[in-house]
Amino acid sequence: MIKHIGLAFVVVAALAAGCAQTKPTVSAAAAPVSGNAPAWQQGRGTDMSGSSLAPLAGKLTVTPAADIPLHQLKLPPGFKAEVWSTGTPGARAMARSPSGKIYVGTRGIGRVYEITDHGASRTSRVVVDKLNQPAAAFHDGSLYVFAIDKVLRYDGIDRNPGVQPVDLTAKFNLPPEQHHNWKYVRFGPDGKLYVPFGAPCNICIPGEPYAQIRRYNADGSGMEVIARGVRNTQGFDWHPVTKELWFSDHGRDWMGDDTPEDELNRLSRTGQHFGFPYCHANGVADRDIRKSDACDGVTLPVKTMGGHAAVMGVHFYTGSMFPAEYRNTLFVARKGSWNRTKKNGYDVVMVRSDANGSNAQVTPFATGFMNEQDQSFWGRPVYFLQLPDGSLLLSDEQNGAIYRITYAGT
Amino acid sequence: MPGPERVGAAGRALTAVALLVFVAGAPAQPAPALAAACVACHGAGGNSQQPLVPSLAGQPRLFIENQLVLVREGLREIPQMKGLLDGQADADLVALARYFAAQPPVRAAAGARDAAAYRRGEALSATMHCGSCHLPDYAGREQIPRLAGQHEAFLLQAMKQLRDHPGPGRDTIMAASLYGLKDADLADLAHFLAHFGASAS
Repeated sequence: MIKHIGLAFVVVAALAAGCAQTKPTVSAAAAPVSGNAPAWQQGRGTDMSGSSLAPLAGKLTVTPAADIPLHQLKLPPGFKAEVWSTGTPGARAMARSPSGKIYVGTRGIGRVYEITDHGASRTSRVVVDKLNQPAAAFHDGSLYVFAIDKVLRYDGIDRNPGVQPVDLTAKFNLPPEQHHNWKYVRFGPDGKLYVPFGAPCNICIPGEPYAQIRRYNADGSGMEVIARGVRNTQGFDWHPVTKELWFSDHGRDWMGDDTPEDELNRLSRTGQHFGFPYCHANGVADRDIRKSDACDGVTLPVKTMGGHAAVMGVHFYTGSMFPAEYRNTLFVARKGSWNRTKKNGYDVVMVRSDANGSNAQVTPFATGFMNEQDQSFWGRPVYFLQLPDGSLLLSDEQNGAIYRITYAGT
Repeated sequence: MPGPERVGAAGRALTAVALLVFVAGAPAQPAPALAAACVACHGAGGNSQQPLVPSLAGQPRLFIENQLVLVREGLREIPQMKGLLDGQADADLVALARYFAAQPPVRAAAGARDAAAYRRGEALSATMHCGSCHLPDYAGREQIPRLAGQHEAFLLQAMKQLRDHPGPGRDTIMAASLYGLKDADLADLAHFLAHFGASAS
């Protein structure tokens, strides 16, 4: 099986090279370690060989509310954050049923949670576990659970907690590689299910099934690749006015602290190419996988979002609780860096721009998760969910907690 | 426990053995009740006497904690541990992790060092940057396990599983790191890591 995958990579890479006008060159540092394999240290040059930077530890156990120093969070005047829900280790992206149940995906712990709001308090249960890094979406009365290698649909689960899932896996033709293929999934305004398939490496020629965003009909039929050259998007939303897809994308590692930066992108036309692996950020040619005119035909980002900052969930605010200037502003959660000598991110920022993405300005919204002085951090903000009253839920993967951000005026 | 004996120049091997026993820092906390079930296989104080059972002593606390959760959740399948942690609360797993992380590690009986295999493993580890995450002394940190002095047979088995069965509960970074390595490469790595830090004699 694994040998076949390796062969498929060779073939796809050869085809890709054959189609290009000039054959790309691949540096020794980006060459596979052994066999034609994706590997996390691809692209790590001799300049970085002594580095001990490594992905930071997640936490899989419950963090009680009393252990969360939320008072250290800094928000603009008039805003307040409270611990809304705890006890859901690894909590990431959230989806809401019309009846108000919140469904939450995870990575390492393999669970999808259901959170029930009782007004003054919240309770949670595990809907399904033992999955491979599952995400959740809610559409037309059904919960969709999307893992790396499995797709399940739970019809009417918010009213019928014991409902058995329908297994849709075979319909979605999921590729086998896992790295960067953990999911963020959403139903778009067109009723289609949007699913990213990341590059299974730090830097490599990824092959056809990867480094792309697809959309499907809800039953898995009608697959279309809508964006290519996308290394690792972990969040997207649709502009409230233009209905265009905006998405985050993580830049590659081991090229330095500040380059290439993460991206905020806008899809204005189906089939656009966003540059991976040849062209990163705002037109940075790759060091290891080179071809002439690397950025030709590449759609550059609306805004670069900082080196290794790990841009996650993005959310256009459409509520009426926050002041008018927040309307249609994009909130961006930056989980925070590991492949950088000094930490970056660990915050929520706002991006204000014209509807077509021009004149984008980034300003801080929520800071204080990380201490610049001693480089410690206590939380890692990841995803948003806007409640009907206009308050904003923010999940913290490190603490398995959800915070509620409200505005009460100054 | 008595301290290491002083031995003469003729007793180099004995000295080496004695140096492997970190007698300082005796456990300050009592063992959680659940630990009795662990030490049945993982050995007293989490220092395993069985080649295919890993030592827990001196592993990073978070590494043990994460693995206990993954085993309880059924994400990391270890047939010998099936059901053992069912229903255990997070707090109990945290206490177990804290206890075993605080136990002094005793180097597993590693057998004779094969100088050629050791050198091959050492070179492979350097090119693969194992020490980047596991640290240059292979003591591990946070969610990343200690490798130095672990049982050679266990290291080999664990690396084969990570390479061949990347699945739920398996780190995708480790799966990607070992992808395509031959069994002989893994054997050299296991030999090197099991003997790392021990006397060359």
